[in-house]
Amino acid sequence: MINARDRRSTTFVVLVGLALLAMVALLGVAVGAVSIGLPDVVRALGGVGDPSVVAIVRDLRVPRVLVAACVGAGLAVSGSALQGTMRNALAEPYLLGVSGGAAVGAVVLMAVGISRPDVVTLGAFAGAALATLLVTALARVVGGSGDTRLLLMAGVIVGAFANACILVALADAPPEKLRGALWWMMGSAADATWPAVARVGAAVLVFGALLVWWARELDVLALGDDAAAALGVDVDRASRRMFLVASWLAAATVAAAGLIGFVGLVVPNLARGMGATRQRPMMLVSAVYGAALLVGADLLARTLRAPAELPLGAVTAIIGVPFFLFRLRRMSA
Amino acid sequence: MGATTTHDIRIRGLTVQYPGRDRAALDGVSFDALPGTITAVVGPNGSGKSTIVRALLRRVAVAAGSISIGDNVVSAMDPRAFAQRVAVVPQREEPARALSVTDFVGLGRHAHRSAFGVMRTSDRAAIDRAMARAGMTDAMHQRIDQLSGGEWQRVRIARALAQEAAVLVLDEPTTFLDIGHEMAVFELLDAIAREGCTVLLVSHQLNLVARFASHIVLLHAGTVVASGSADVVMRGDVLEAVYDWPLVITRDPAVGAPSLLPLRRQARPVRDRVDAPTGRIT
Amino acid sequence: MSYPVLASSRALFAVALAAIAISACARSADRAVEQSRASDDRSALQSRTISAADTDDFGAPLPTDARDAARVVSLNPTATEVIFAIGAESRLVGRSRWDEFPAQAASIPALGDGIRPNVEALLGARPTLVILYATEENRAAARALQRAGVRTLALRVDHIAQFMSLCAQLGVALDATERARVVADSVQRTLDRVRDATRGASPVTVVWPLWRAPVLVVGRGSYLDELLEIAGGRNVFHDFAAPSPAVSIEEIAKRNPDVLIASAKTSGELRASTAWRSVAAVRNQHLLLDDPSLTGRPSVVLGMAAVSLARLLHPDRAAALR
Repeated sequence: MINARDRRSTTFVVLVGLALLAMVALLGVAVGAVSIGLPDVVRALGGVGDPSVVAIVRDLRVPRVLVAACVGAGLAVSGSALQGTMRNALAEPYLLGVSGGAAVGAVVLMAVGISRPDVVTLGAFAGAALATLLVTALARVVGGSGDTRLLLMAGVIVGAFANACILVALADAPPEKLRGALWWMMGSAADATWPAVARVGAAVLVFGALLVWWARELDVLALGDDAAAALGVDVDRASRRMFLVASWLAAATVAAAGLIGFVGLVVPNLARGMGATRQRPMMLVSAVYGAALLVGADLLARTLRAPAELPLGAVTAIIGVPFFLFRLRRMSA
Repeated sequence: MGATTTHDIRIRGLTVQYPGRDRAALDGVSFDALPGTITAVVGPNGSGKSTIVRALLRRVAVAAGSISIGDNVVSAMDPRAFAQRVAVVPQREEPARALSVTDFVGLGRHAHRSAFGVMRTSDRAAIDRAMARAGMTDAMHQRIDQLSGGEWQRVRIARALAQEAAVLVLDEPTTFLDIGHEMAVFELLDAIAREGCTVLLVSHQLNLVARFASHIVLLHAGTVVASGSADVVMRGDVLEAVYDWPLVITRDPAVGAPSLLPLRRQARPVRDRVDAPTGRIT
Repeated sequence: MSYPVLASSRALFAVALAAIAISACARSADRAVEQSRASDDRSALQSRTISAADTDDFGAPLPTDARDAARVVSLNPTATEVIFAIGAESRLVGRSRWDEFPAQAASIPALGDGIRPNVEALLGARPTLVILYATEENRAAARALQRAGVRTLALRVDHIAQFMSLCAQLGVALDATERARVVADSVQRTLDRVRDATRGASPVTVVWPLWRAPVLVVGRGSYLDELLEIAGGRNVFHDFAAPSPAVSIEEIAKRNPDVLIASAKTSGELRASTAWRSVAAVRNQHLLLDDPSLTGRPSVVLGMAAVSLARLLHPDRAAALR
């Protein structure tokens, strides 16, 4: 029987998270290089006022906030699914070749001179999706595509190969291309446009919904392979499809905003710390808090060193490090 | 309940070979576990007892032979269908997450629930029944990482009971249990068997097995060395050879079944002596 | 578990990225250093007479002996172009693969990169003088060449004044001082004419995006900023010392320039992007297309570049220019 008390506390946590997200999103839309008063912001959302202000609010800030929210939610849900499938709280969305594959896709395109954002996005997603398939195929050829250690190893191999490709592609590049490639890899929501919002939003909805659908299987998988098989789960098939979909969800976020670390690792741990023990509530809590975290990080990224922007990946790392120090102390206590 | 053939376990010529080992883990093992009885598989470490359970769960590749539940071969069964008919309590399990006992036992209903289905009354009732039978109702709201070793074992049994399957397979279910709890588990298994379920048990506890199991299968190095009732299998010469340790078999009328007593190494190996009703060792 | 392996591969990648980043930063760092040196020359827009006591941009003494310039390799695009302009191309035995101007330069063998050049390949052409691009990363190559007995001349042009001094220095090194002065003076005269033509016109405020991701614009440290000023424009990011500082679209919108200058390809992308609609100049289609063949490099075409910019910014006043 689902504990009524548990359910109430999860609902409370989700509501708090949604409130936090709303607040941070509002801040994200109201704050920027150009100071716009709140009433003007609200009017601009409706399309009323100075065309520059309207454009800044509706075409610059709102898409950024939306992309950051989708990417944050996607990474958190992906991390949550991978941590459940691998039964390891240190698993994160880029484990299975996603970061390397996406970076290869994007950087190679940029190195040959293609810089149109939607083409680069597509290239990044294709690279990541292929890399993930390569990792699972490699693990299957060697022994078993559900075996966690084999997958991890295959992920390391594919990742190392991808890094080599990236370095070769960039070795010769003139400074601007180099800078552009680095900028992409360090993560940013600065290029957010409405089409990008639609793309990443659709991916997060579709892949995220699949993972939430399969969430209860993860609860059973968490018991161990033997116990899970005993309770009616096809362990190999369930693990494999979880890995693939979680990785593709992460790939969609990388395609939209580059490599952003720590969110997929930290937020599910946070959700667990807030009392979510079952996978489905944990994913929902993770999605909400992941979105809030990244919207906040994006706000910091563009205000800390205005008018220049910090890379989003750097800001999340700065947030992530003290979090882990804190957890480390608690673990040893 | 009349004897049926829909939920007996039939193992025929089961052969399992782990890669890289020279001898087979199981070599042509055959036996049946019938409904309404407790069938126990015993034997020394490494004899292949747990491999039978893993083969049943399809976690190891079977080189030859088959396992069937009734007329259905296990390897052809859909995992969900299998879990609805067979409940397995594997040997080892660590509490991975801080679930509540109720949620944990509720996982046993996984094979009966659809992906988004809510807990139905039948599910809730099954969970309540299972916890009551395993004596865990008082622990309903505790977290599984706060349980003692014995409570943890009983909660795992409760989860298996929640599956409400006609076949129950347990691999070493009484590790970490004190005498009282161990007896309680065996008496529970006995009651379940009497209701018509098929109970297959892998255990080290020869003496308890002798008292509760109607069919014992003695495994050694992957083959069946002896099989039958306790009187047939509990023979000193056979057991000494299998366990490679001096021992003596006694029989106490209060117990009603043969008991095995291991001796100190320096004692001379003693042959089988089935006692007169006086209960003395001669 | 294999996490140590994971951690080390991630660490490797991070180190590699860091190495790339550091080298990129080194390039921009020493560009900043060169900025502060060159800013002293900004006021002196006349060509200077060079004496033997002068040094190149690495501080090495200037080669003044004509024999030193019998076989010249130029790994500096501006220098290559000027060498052709002063008629000394017969001495050229090699160039860098990035030296594309003038078109005749294609007949000179390409010996590889201009930054961190392959010294072996250079020595294979048996040069007596190698003209390098003056960046910190080429110091090692300069030392290696000097050890091999080859003279080096390290130059760079971030500002117009440096172009003038590059012409003079090349004139001395290649024994073509008179022709070098002619080239420098011709460019200077064109610049003066443009400045005269636009004098008194109210400056047009300009933003000039050089790159989209990250958003890089022309800053004070670039010759393009100087050209804009000469052509009667004012760079809204003149307060940034770097040649191509990174800013945000919102900052550009805030500074609200009258016009935006970009190449045809970039303009198309900006018009199509929803994010750039926040800049009034984009919204109102005040996009001026520049000609990268003239503005793309600080070389003999500087004068024509100024003319083309003046035509964009003050078409009526620049009509008389030729």
